[in-house]
Amino acid sequence: MEHAVETFSLTKIFSDWWGRNKVYAVDDLNLQVRGNEIFGLLGPNGSGKTTTIKLLLGLLYPSKGKAVVLGGDGADPKISARIGFLPEESYLYRYLNARETLDFYGRLFGLPANVRTMRIEALLDMVGLKAVANRPVGTFSKGMARRIGLAQALINDPDLLILDEPTTGLDPIGTRQIKDLILELAKRGKTILLCSHLLADVEDVCDRIAILYGGKIHAEGQVRDLLLQTNKKQITTGAISDTTIERIKRLIKDEHADCVVTSPMDKLETFFIKAVADAQQQARPTSGAVSTTEISAFLAAEASQKNILDKLVSASVSRETPSEPTATEQVVGVDTSEPESDEQLLRKLTKPAEPARPGPVPPNRKITTEPVKPKAHEQDEDKKSILDQLIRQMPDSTSPKDNTEQTDKNQ
Amino acid sequence: MHSIWAVAANTIKQALRMKIAAVFIVLLIVLLPVMGVSMTGDGTLKGRLQTFVSYSLSLTNLLLCLLTIIVSIYTLTNDIKQKQIYTVITKPIRRFQLLLGKLLGVVLLNIALLVLFSAIIYTITVYTPKFYGASEADLDSMNNEFFTARAALTPPEVDVTAEVLDTYEKLKKTGQLPPEAGENEIKAELTRRKQLWKRAAVVGQWLVWEFNNVRVLDPNESLFIRYKYEVSINPPDMQVYSRWDVGDNRQYPPAYESFLRKDPIRTFRELEVPAYLIADDGYLAIRFLNVPLNRTTVIFPPDGLEVLYKADTFTANFVRVVLLILFRLVFLASLGTLAATFLSFPVAILFSLCIFFTATISGFCLESFDYLGEKLTWVYYYTVRPLILLLPQFDKFNPAQFLVPARIVPWSLLAKVAGLMICIKAFLLLLLALLIFKFREIAKIII
Repeated sequence: MEHAVETFSLTKIFSDWWGRNKVYAVDDLNLQVRGNEIFGLLGPNGSGKTTTIKLLLGLLYPSKGKAVVLGGDGADPKISARIGFLPEESYLYRYLNARETLDFYGRLFGLPANVRTMRIEALLDMVGLKAVANRPVGTFSKGMARRIGLAQALINDPDLLILDEPTTGLDPIGTRQIKDLILELAKRGKTILLCSHLLADVEDVCDRIAILYGGKIHAEGQVRDLLLQTNKKQITTGAISDTTIERIKRLIKDEHADCVVTSPMDKLETFFIKAVADAQQQARPTSGAVSTTEISAFLAAEASQKNILDKLVSASVSRETPSEPTATEQVVGVDTSEPESDEQLLRKLTKPAEPARPGPVPPNRKITTEPVKPKAHEQDEDKKSILDQLIRQMPDSTSPKDNTEQTDKNQ
Repeated sequence: MHSIWAVAANTIKQALRMKIAAVFIVLLIVLLPVMGVSMTGDGTLKGRLQTFVSYSLSLTNLLLCLLTIIVSIYTLTNDIKQKQIYTVITKPIRRFQLLLGKLLGVVLLNIALLVLFSAIIYTITVYTPKFYGASEADLDSMNNEFFTARAALTPPEVDVTAEVLDTYEKLKKTGQLPPEAGENEIKAELTRRKQLWKRAAVVGQWLVWEFNNVRVLDPNESLFIRYKYEVSINPPDMQVYSRWDVGDNRQYPPAYESFLRKDPIRTFRELEVPAYLIADDGYLAIRFLNVPLNRTTVIFPPDGLEVLYKADTFTANFVRVVLLILFRLVFLASLGTLAATFLSFPVAILFSLCIFFTATISGFCLESFDYLGEKLTWVYYYTVRPLILLLPQFDKFNPAQFLVPARIVPWSLLAKVAGLMICIKAFLLLLLALLIFKFREIAKIII
């Protein structure tokens, strides 16, 4: 399997003006990120995560060694056209508004005008900034800047997404959305290199991780393998009576093992999202939260666009469960002005991440989703135009490749 | 190419929205009309227009130069310092494209501003006469000496080598050479004296200048003899009386027309003569008589006599002068871009301003260093001098210096300046900038 990112004894030494006081920011690093995986680069502050990313992208030159990104040099325009990069802070032009910002980056990629407009509107929808699209980015809060930074990284529909601390400054919903987005993108065949010291984020999404310290890898492997406690077992049940518990305890004691019985706790994240969902259901006025529901709406729309395309291109079987396509297709045409759909969207938002994925340990959440009934008539036209645009914007071979990879994965 | 355009458009937005350019624009938009109303010059309409054009163009030129330096440096150093360049340079854009985009943005902004301000200056200049009543003579002198573009003929320097050698040999034979001076020094001094004598007329003496190939657009037009007197003894009323004969002296009797004049000393004066005095083959002779009314020797300084004739319109000349300004702005933009590739904002500004001001007085620098250099010889010739020659000579192509005496900027001069300042000097700077920028690490913080 081709590696999306591979480094060969990559070393970066920072020295002072006289060439003394050498600091090994990255030290003989051999990193392999496989295609179509979510790779987490972890480490405390100053462990060389960001330096590694800068080396990959050609912002810094290695003192020794070599980095190969997508089979080439990360600074080569042919390669960087397939990379999306979100730096550790969203460094944006303060005087441009959100739409102009995306337009500028779109132009750098040489996207034709119609594709650019389509993607900009879709991305603005996705990151929930459509309402403030004409405000200068300099007036944005940190979280909003983060969102536009993310949109900027996705404008070229990248094959490799490099995210440096993607969730800093975001509220829990935003964090959840980014994590969902990452999983969704991985499902669509993208490779994601994630760099963070927020362990919860990494644990939720990453297939494999590497822990850096002092510029060296100290641990590397599948998240599940690294975290699995093979000497313990956990049983989750519905509400059962005390007598049953006593019986189970006795059974376990027969095996000479200890046993602790507690009620599972919601994650604070889940609780928070539920609380906000309740508030939105009651239509409490707020300045920014309404827009956040659009993220998953767009994501689903993206997926369904892909679905339509996939069907057209390969006529393959749908990779979703029977109830899923209806749900996702329903979201294509969701207008944010329709208040009754918000609740459904939010439920979808809080739904656990794709269970088919082998990598991440699914969090213990018990929120059910109901399949949403399709509203077929009005969406037909939308789909058609989106399809047209998609076909126009995809002259390369990425879509069939994505498709095969996805089917592989699902098998 | 699309990425160069994107960066250029962004640079223009940056300059306008970050209010760097706005300050300069507002200042000029306010100042130019105020200058148009308040400048009176020497009281005549011509003087008024000359003063206005001179000051307004110089001010526009200076402010745009400063703006160019600041914007071209700010746009790149700010991107590096605020790290927006991280998201730009990781897109499919090559580093030279980023630099060229920035440069293109600055140049386009300059062109727009230059067009705007020169249009304002031009409009004010052209419409001012309509608001001020002026006598016929005043209007005439304005049309002939300001609203036109005149080419100039200067008499060639007289070759005095033979005479100098002759005198030197004589002095040597008679043993009158000063013992402490070298041969070259004595010869140089002799040359200076001989040439001075060629331009000097004692009382009652004639001086004659001859010109060939004088081509005038229209024989009904006028020629202008522009001259300045130096004197050996100041006359009591600081005036010199003279007789000028202009025409063809190759036949007998000479076809001259005579003009009697009385002019103040040490100021440029102009004598208008009809163009039909030029012979059919383009020959023209001018002679000057130091009339016995004067009691002093009259000397013409080295640039003390020219023949001016109308060669183009004011508008065309104005456009060319504006182009001259544009060329220097392009040079400064390249200079700023170069400085920004390896210096931080304040240092780059300082560096560029130093070069800008040195270039503004490069003529003076060269002269004074040449004078000193006679003693420093090769050390000077191989170190300082090439460096100064590398700078553009802004003072040589000062915009006001052409428009105030209505002097034509020939296309050949424009081409020469474009070639030297842009194609060679600015290009070299840009090449250096591209090299530095290609090999430097973007993410490294620089001082």
